[in-house]
Amino acid sequence: MGMTELDLKLQAGALLGRRIEADRLVLADEVLAQALDGRRPLTAGERAALQGSPLTLRRLRHLADSRRAQAQVVRGSWRGSRGLLRAADSGNGLDLLRTDDGMWRLHFVDAAGSLAVVVQLDPEAAGAADVMAARPAIQVRDGSGALVLEGQLDADGECEGPWPFAALPAAHFQQHGARFEVIPRATPLT
Amino acid sequence: MRLPGTRYQEHGWEQVRKLLGHCSLHACARLGADTLLDPDPEQSLGAYVDAVAQALHAAGAFTERYSNSDGNSYGDTCGELALTLVFELQARPADWAALCTAVAAEHARIGPFWSQPGGEALLRKKFNDLYAVLRDKVDSDNYQAACGRPCSPNRMYAYRMLDTAWHEVARLFAGWREHAPQVGAILGRDVVAMPIEARQLRTSGDCKPEWIMRWSESLEAHTGAAGPLHTRSKRFASLKNSPEKIGAMLREIGEYELLSANRDQDWLHDASQASAWLDDYWRVLDESEQGSTPGPDLILEARQDELDAGDGLEPEPTIDGGPVEAQEAARLALVAQQLSLPPNYALLAALGEDRASWAARRMAHDSLPVRLAVYLKLLGPFDDSYPSEWLDPQTGELPTMQQLAGLDGISLPTLRKRRDAAVARLNEMAGMEEERRWA
Repeated sequence: MGMTELDLKLQAGALLGRRIEADRLVLADEVLAQALDGRRPLTAGERAALQGSPLTLRRLRHLADSRRAQAQVVRGSWRGSRGLLRAADSGNGLDLLRTDDGMWRLHFVDAAGSLAVVVQLDPEAAGAADVMAARPAIQVRDGSGALVLEGQLDADGECEGPWPFAALPAAHFQQHGARFEVIPRATPLT
Repeated sequence: MRLPGTRYQEHGWEQVRKLLGHCSLHACARLGADTLLDPDPEQSLGAYVDAVAQALHAAGAFTERYSNSDGNSYGDTCGELALTLVFELQARPADWAALCTAVAAEHARIGPFWSQPGGEALLRKKFNDLYAVLRDKVDSDNYQAACGRPCSPNRMYAYRMLDTAWHEVARLFAGWREHAPQVGAILGRDVVAMPIEARQLRTSGDCKPEWIMRWSESLEAHTGAAGPLHTRSKRFASLKNSPEKIGAMLREIGEYELLSANRDQDWLHDASQASAWLDDYWRVLDESEQGSTPGPDLILEARQDELDAGDGLEPEPTIDGGPVEAQEAARLALVAQQLSLPPNYALLAALGEDRASWAARRMAHDSLPVRLAVYLKLLGPFDDSYPSEWLDPQTGELPTMQQLAGLDGISLPTLRKRRDAAVARLNEMAGMEEERRWA
C-alpha cells in the first residue's frame, strides 16, 4: 500500500506549487546541508520555518538533487585525473595535454583572436560512460591549485572557457609545477 | 541575460509577452471583460487561467509556429514559458487582484473602456504590466532556489538594466567613430583614435562601472532621454553612486554567462528521479521530529534589499504590439469547439484509478472529475504516469475543465472551487508525518 509514482508526483506538485506573498529563504544553505547530511537535525522552530516557506523548500529540493547528482559521480570510480607537462610539451606550440589515465584531453585553441582552453572526455576511456551519464560539473586546476577552467560537461563530453592566465599555456604550466588535474566540482553549478 | 535559475530574462521574452497579451485579450473577449470586475478575484482568476490556457493552445502556442522559437537558451519554447507563467499567476492571487483593481479603477473613470476605440490596447497594457511584474517575481524566486542567495524582483530588474546598459556601451565602443563624443563622455577623455577599451570589452565583467555611470549621466545630452540611473525615479538610487555594487553585479552576469554557456539541458531534474528529493525532505522532517537539535533556531532574518527601497514596483514601459491580425482572430474563433467524451468515459476512468493509492484515499470524498481536475492543475493535461483510461481519446490528454464540469453535472466555477479546496487539503497533508508512513 505504498505511494505510487503518481502519488509522489502529485505530492511533489502540491508542495512545489505553493506560493506565499513575500516568501524568502529562511534557512541558510549550511543549515539545510547539515540537515540533509544528518549531521544536525533541524530544531523544531527551523522545521516549522521550512514547512512554512515554499521557497526554502524549493532550495532544499535543489540541494537534495545536487547531492544525489554528485553522489552518482562518486559511486562511479572517477574521483579526478592528473596529468603532467612532459618535456616534449614544453615547446612553444603547446596545443594538447592528456591526463595520465587517458580520460581527459586539454586542447588550447585560438578562438576569434584569444586563447581558449577545452577539456574533453575520451568516451573510450575506462569509466568514461559513468562520467558521461552524470555529466558532472568539473574543474581543471594547475599545479599550484589555481583554477584553469570550470563548467558543466556538455552532451559532447566537453567544456570550454577562455585561457585565464597572461602567460601562454606551456610557460604557465612550466612555472606552476608542470602538472594539472581534472576533478569533479564539489557542488554542481547552478 | 542568464542568471542561475532564471527563465524569463532572455531574447524570447518579447515573444512570450506578446503571446500572453494576445491570448489574454482573447480570453477576456470570451469570458466578457466585465469578469475582471467580479468582486471575488479568486473566481475570476480561475476562469481567466482556464480561458487563457485554452487560448494559448488555440493560438498554436505549442505547434511548430512557436516551438521553433526558443524563449531562452535552456530550450524552453515561448509557448511553454507563457503557460508556465499563467500557472504561476494561478498560485499568486495577489497579483491577479492588483490587475483587477487597476481595471476596476479605469472602469470607474471611463466605463467599459475595452469596447471603446483603442480600449483593447489599454486592456492589453494592463496584462503587459501584470506579466512584467510577475516574470521578475518568478525569476527572482528561481534565482534564490538555484543559488541560495537572496534576490528581489527589483534586483532582477536591476541586473537586466545593467546587462542592457553594458551591451549599449559595447555597441557604442564598436562604433566609436560615429559616436566619438558619446564614447568620450563614457571614457572621460577625448577620443581621437580607437580606444583600447573598445578592444578589451568582451564580457560584462570587463565593463567598468564608471562607464555605466557616465553613460547613464550623458545619455540625455546625446539622445534626449535620461539614462536609467539618472531618471527622476528613485528605483536605482542605491546603485547610482555605488560603482562597487554595479561592478559586482556586472561580474556576476558575466561569470554565469560563461559558466552556463555549454549548458544544453536542465540535467538536474531528469524524470527518472523527479521526486527522489521527497525522500530527503521526509527524512529531514523525521530526523528533526525524532531528535531535534536543541538550542537556538538558526533562522535567517529578513533583510530588505537596498534595491527595494526605491519607488516600489513601477512596471517597465512596454511597447505595444499592433492590433491582432483579422486573419488570426478568425482562425482562433474557429478553433473554440467543444470536444465530447466517449459515453463510457467515466466508468473506464474510475476503473483505471488505483483506489489504494495515497491520492485516491486522501481525495476519496471528492468526485472523480474533481480528482482529475486536481491532477490537471498540479501536473498538467499529460503525464507519463496517468492511466490511459483517464485520457480523452480525441486529444490524448486529460479532459478539459469544461468537460470535467459537464461530467460531474456541476458548473465550472463550482468545479474550480471544489478542486481548489482539494488541492488545499493535499497541500496541508503532503509532508505530514502520518502521510510519510505511506512511503
